[in-house]
Amino acid sequence: MAATKVRAFSPEFAQAFKEEINKSQVYKQAGKGWKWTVGLVVEAEPDKNVPDSHGVFLDLFDGEARDIKMVSPDEAKKCDFVITAPYSRWKQVMRKELDPTKGMMQGKLKLKGDLPTIVRYTRASQEMTECTTRIPVDFPDED
Amino acid sequence: MLGGLIEANVKARQDRRSDFESLKARVGIRVEDIDESITLEFKGGSLAVSNGLKRNRDLTIRTDADTVMTLSNLAIGPFGMPVYVDGVGRTVVQRLLTGKLKIDGMLTHVPTLNKVTRVFSVR
Repeated sequence: MAATKVRAFSPEFAQAFKEEINKSQVYKQAGKGWKWTVGLVVEAEPDKNVPDSHGVFLDLFDGEARDIKMVSPDEAKKCDFVITAPYSRWKQVMRKELDPTKGMMQGKLKLKGDLPTIVRYTRASQEMTECTTRIPVDFPDED
Repeated sequence: MLGGLIEANVKARQDRRSDFESLKARVGIRVEDIDESITLEFKGGSLAVSNGLKRNRDLTIRTDADTVMTLSNLAIGPFGMPVYVDGVGRTVVQRLLTGKLKIDGMLTHVPTLNKVTRVFSVR
């Protein structure tokens, strides 16, 4: 039976993302020692059926996702690390069409926060991206 | 991004600051899989970053984005020498041996390469 799809950047998506991270042994290992909050800002693209910007708040601690929830973009921007990109870039990341490391180097994903810390946890952030690819997602521009 | 990484590293760590202040070299980095190149010009306490590969480089690193991140995660051991025997170090050596990482000028600028590695390293 096919898994039920969740709407991208909805509370159900946030919950599924949390569950995937907590299922991942790779993340558990790679995220050890991480103790900062991460905000993802998904910028609106009205022509892609995403009229408003969204924020995702990730409370990650020592290899575990303690909380992941949808918040306002302003709230997401208050996190220790903030990654900002338009909706279609996030979709590319979630479809494995854009590697987040390359995306950050090219400025396609904008990062705010202490760079040495995030570089130290490259493997954890790669696994987080992998987790999003395992969630069956229903994208708003494919309605 | 790499300029920002070096700046943050040097600000946060005194040992890296000493290396940065004594480092005078022109280093090119070609990131093959994103088709981008930059030149880092270390001028003994300041750094200029420019797009593309400038002439007269002391070192040129040619690799992919993932390996650039791996290089930044090389541990620094006793006497400031990069550690090539742990997991990250072995990955770097393997990529050098298989040609996935090429460093032009490596053999003639060993002390410079070690200093550059230290200012890059977040470990």
